[in-house]
Amino acid sequence: MPLADDGGPAARVTNLSVAYRTTPVLRRVDLDVPRGVVMGVVGPNGAGKSSLIKAMLGLVPPLAGEVEFFGRPLAKVRRRVGYMPQSATVDWDFPTTVRDVVTMGTYGGLGWFRRPGRPEHERAEEAMAQTGIDALAGRQIGELSGGQRQRVFLARALVQAPDLYFMDEPFQGVDAKSQQAIVAVLHLLREQGRTVVIVHHDLATVRDYCDHVTLLNQRVIASGPVAEAFTKEHIRSAYEVAAGDDFLEFTA
Amino acid sequence: MSFLLGTVLLAVVTAMACALPGVFVVLRRNSMLVDAISHAVLPGIVVGYFFTRSLDSPLLILGAALAGLVVVLGSEYLSRTGLLTGDAPQGLIFPALFSAGVIMVTLNFANVHLDTHAVLVGDLNLAAFHQLQIGGVLAGPSYLYVMLAVLVVNGVFLAVCYRRLKISTFDPGFARSLGLRPGALNTAFMFLVSVTVTAAFHAAGAILVIALVVVPPATAYLLTGRLPMMIGLTLAIAAGGALAGFWLAYLADAATSAGMAVFYGLVFAAVFTATRLRQRLRARRESAPAAAA
Repeated sequence: MPLADDGGPAARVTNLSVAYRTTPVLRRVDLDVPRGVVMGVVGPNGAGKSSLIKAMLGLVPPLAGEVEFFGRPLAKVRRRVGYMPQSATVDWDFPTTVRDVVTMGTYGGLGWFRRPGRPEHERAEEAMAQTGIDALAGRQIGELSGGQRQRVFLARALVQAPDLYFMDEPFQGVDAKSQQAIVAVLHLLREQGRTVVIVHHDLATVRDYCDHVTLLNQRVIASGPVAEAFTKEHIRSAYEVAAGDDFLEFTA
Repeated sequence: MSFLLGTVLLAVVTAMACALPGVFVVLRRNSMLVDAISHAVLPGIVVGYFFTRSLDSPLLILGAALAGLVVVLGSEYLSRTGLLTGDAPQGLIFPALFSAGVIMVTLNFANVHLDTHAVLVGDLNLAAFHQLQIGGVLAGPSYLYVMLAVLVVNGVFLAVCYRRLKISTFDPGFARSLGLRPGALNTAFMFLVSVTVTAAFHAAGAILVIALVVVPPATAYLLTGRLPMMIGLTLAIAAGGALAGFWLAYLADAATSAGMAVFYGLVFAAVFTATRLRQRLRARRESAPAAAA
């Protein structure tokens, strides 16, 4: 898509605060997501990682703050932003097939009365092939393993073909084979100049999967290229562990 | 049209009109909300009667359905505050509304003639009593045409909103990220459920409407893993069960709605048992070679 935008970051968050009822979850978050990177959002449980991307996408109401995508508000650029929720948040007993769920990625462009036609079905087939689930297309979604479910969600996000992807824990409950398949897709997207933001909880793989990282614990501890931001001190401060604790060996 | 044929048709059309939206009610896990709605519409019906003086009036149905929506939106609001858990909000709202309706009926407000029995389980034969005459020809119970209109409205709504309903039921977060509005769709859908329940009130009463809405789709859900198939089976079970239930009630000289509800219950029990047996057989077959090895 030829873009008439400001050439700035893919997403810019300014002074974002979020609370669930009376519990504050995010405090005054400022964040830039540069274009064409895979950014990992990392932090301990309850750090507000999912809340951050949900608030950015308008799925939870922020207390304050502003979010822009490609220099514009979300409502103007919705088609350029894709979302892959945590797979545990949906009903996998829902009576439908893999192919049908993947095709849901085309619904945003269809409006009220157009049904998915041949181009939409072709895009769905392509995305299923890309994520290695084409052989499962006719299966009922309840029959899938955890890794296969994540790949169904990934395929649905690919069908949306946005410029900026948000993925909430794409590696949650995933076997080695699915993990490889997902990583391959992430890196392919980066090569195509797309931007990917993943909520991630495995510190050991951050360096392999991501080139930018945001360490989060209710506020942004550090954000930038992995080499600069993913340091021992920053991780300690995000995870609130004392110096000398050996749980950070792999970051050395 | 003979009285018997008209009444049978009324039973079948009512069953199908209720079961069609029931598919998404079951998939959204809102089954008991239907029970709350069917009780809550009672004061709406009484007040509506005060203005329209006719229990079949579309105005009365729409007005009373708003009372059903009070339960839906009210309990959603109470849940959101986080001060009450589970389905307690529903349990708080609908008994109050239903009781208000009962008191109004008892006080003979608006001279509405509803006896307790009809409020609870409805009376299909009474509902079918008022016959429509077109050019001197009896065209069946006028109430049949009310339910037919509800069935058509439900069908059109589902056809137009099919994909939106599906996606916002399966994955509301994703639906919102696409810019769809699952909240608004939910309100529109629940209003339609409320209209359907109100319209079916004469036929099935406050207690048995839920059987017409929920049991056919719940049975179909056990039989298939495909949504279009589930909708087809739901309609078939609803229509077949209405015929069988009508016949059952006819033989026993009981309330038609009760006959239908009992028959639906039997079909569900049979399908459920068969499903469980098949699961157990399959599990045994899969574990047998492993045990032999």
